Amino acid sequence: MILFSYLLMSGVTTGALYALVALGLVVVNKATGVINFAQGEFFMFSGFVAWVLHVQLGLNYAVTFLFTIAIGFGLGALTDRIAFRPIAKADVVSLVLATVGIAFVLKGIARVLWGGKGDYLSFPSITSPDPITVFGLMVIPQQLAVLAGTIVILILFAAFFRLTRAGKMMQATADNAKAAVLVGIQTDKIYTLAFGTGAAIAAAAAVLTAPITLLYPDLGFPIFLKGFAAAVMGGLMSLPGAVLGGVILGVAESLAGGYIHSSVMELSPFIVIMIVLVFRPNGLFGFQTSRRV
Amino acid sequence: MPAIAQQPGVTSKSIKIGAFGALTGPGYLYGQLVMNGVEVVFDQVNAAGGVHGRKLELVREDDRCDPAAAIGAVQKLIHQQKVFALIGGGCSNATLAARDVIETSKIPTLINASVHDGITTPPAANIFSAALTATIESEAQLDFALKQGAKRIAVISMRDGWGRGRYTPLMAYFKAKGVTPVADEELTPDANDATAQVLRLKAANVDAVIMVLYPKPAAVFMRDASKFAFKPLAIGQTGIADPKAFEEQVGIPGAITQFRTIAMVKFTPEDSAVDNWRKLIETKFPGDRLSVFNLVGVGSAQVFVEALKNAGPNPTWDSMTAALANIKDLNIDVYPGPISCSLADHRCNRVPAWLAKDPGKPVRVLPSSGG
Repeated sequence: MILFSYLLMSGVTTGALYALVALGLVVVNKATGVINFAQGEFFMFSGFVAWVLHVQLGLNYAVTFLFTIAIGFGLGALTDRIAFRPIAKADVVSLVLATVGIAFVLKGIARVLWGGKGDYLSFPSITSPDPITVFGLMVIPQQLAVLAGTIVILILFAAFFRLTRAGKMMQATADNAKAAVLVGIQTDKIYTLAFGTGAAIAAAAAVLTAPITLLYPDLGFPIFLKGFAAAVMGGLMSLPGAVLGGVILGVAESLAGGYIHSSVMELSPFIVIMIVLVFRPNGLFGFQTSRRV
Repeated sequence: MPAIAQQPGVTSKSIKIGAFGALTGPGYLYGQLVMNGVEVVFDQVNAAGGVHGRKLELVREDDRCDPAAAIGAVQKLIHQQKVFALIGGGCSNATLAARDVIETSKIPTLINASVHDGITTPPAANIFSAALTATIESEAQLDFALKQGAKRIAVISMRDGWGRGRYTPLMAYFKAKGVTPVADEELTPDANDATAQVLRLKAANVDAVIMVLYPKPAAVFMRDASKFAFKPLAIGQTGIADPKAFEEQVGIPGAITQFRTIAMVKFTPEDSAVDNWRKLIETKFPGDRLSVFNLVGVGSAQVFVEALKNAGPNPTWDSMTAALANIKDLNIDVYPGPISCSLADHRCNRVPAWLAKDPGKPVRVLPSSGG
């Protein structure tokens, strides 16, 4: 039982990292209908920004956190303006390819700016580095911080979409962009807001998880891949689905590694996804849209 | 001097030498920093009058640790820059990919940081290595564990191209030694958690773990091992050649007290024995601090210069290749053992140094180094 508890705890904390990336993907997808393949690079780039602010410039953690989120938002909004909006009326494949291009640009910039600072840059933990005991289980406090951060971000964005005018306009744009224009919603601004928000989530995730992931220019794609898998499992449009998907992936990896062998850890979450999609083709929280004819 | 004029990269006043490796990205340690070490040696040689009166000119190309880019970088150096010889090779997979181009061209080449066996085995007539190789390191890891009295030895490895290049000779050496690993676990290069692996190794009652890992997964493993108070002898290799940086990456005080790793050079950057190299590096490259990767470049450049001297006043590709093959028992200040090449075996460096780091103290070279 103790083994199971440790593996479960490990899976949940790893899943929280995947969930944070998935949340950003879902926010952009909800508003624009596009999967942002640069989400992992937003995460990576923001991590380096936080490293500059916190380690090189000596800003305290709270200020670093806020500045990084603001810079992340600005980066996302800028991306929308220079890379997405000019081709906004193109087909979805072109839009997705544009995000792939952004990913390469960000990685290239990171290699030039930070590629010669260290093979893997370490980011100081915001919590005590020493393991602590929670419910009889040894955990690293930073992992709990990631878990808590995921929950807080989920609650904030659920509230944003349900309670704020901007959130409701994003939902309306995602449901039907043409209808949204007809009722006076400036969809261009909504897209900018969505990209900015998605990048801001990536930035928050990066600051929380950088002590665990370390920082290197190639960090983005592996993180994106797991986050994307989590988002697919959750249904691509659901915030709770993204979180649940991330946690399921993390737990599947951990249990498979602990009870079968570590060589099946990478494979196991994708087997779980295949099984889920066989029974629920639109993901755990996805739904089939139907049109009355 | 028509013979000289026909040699690419050689004039009456200079010899152009090509260097390839990563100048950007995480692999820059094995590229840019190693090249910086090479360059300060060349500067010193030039200040003393050059080699047979010719100044050495280093031309760098970025392979970005990428196999395709490495092929392009080498082709550019050979055919566009028309260098006389090559010294370089950082990331193993990239250098391995470029081997065919180098071998076909017949340009004399000294590898200085790449460790993949396939670069030097089977030997290509014109490619020699001043770096340790994967097999040499893997065997040294197991020998080290046994020498420390470990009875229950486990392996944790990456199974990508880099990892396989070390894992396969390691398992073969286990078999040759008649030792069976008590556990054999895998960890991916991008892993962020190693709880499952740590729990399995702990359950196997392991007292030494041979790590075939990059610094990131190794740091994740050591962090999670520390979480469970699991502190076996952890044995790294040159992929984790900087224990000071590794301690920061792990981030838990005291987590790497049982960590030992291989270095190609026998000095740490703080050692007073390398004051001269520190001064040269930090003067020429302001903002840089001497690293073990600089010293790798320093060592290989001295081997290269020795061969170039022995190639004679009118060096040709054939005479340079022969000079490299004939290096015997050459003692270089930074290497733990002598450098010896032969026509049959182009792995010229066979003696690793061992490093350790205690909390709050500088990295130390273990007395067993060189033996």
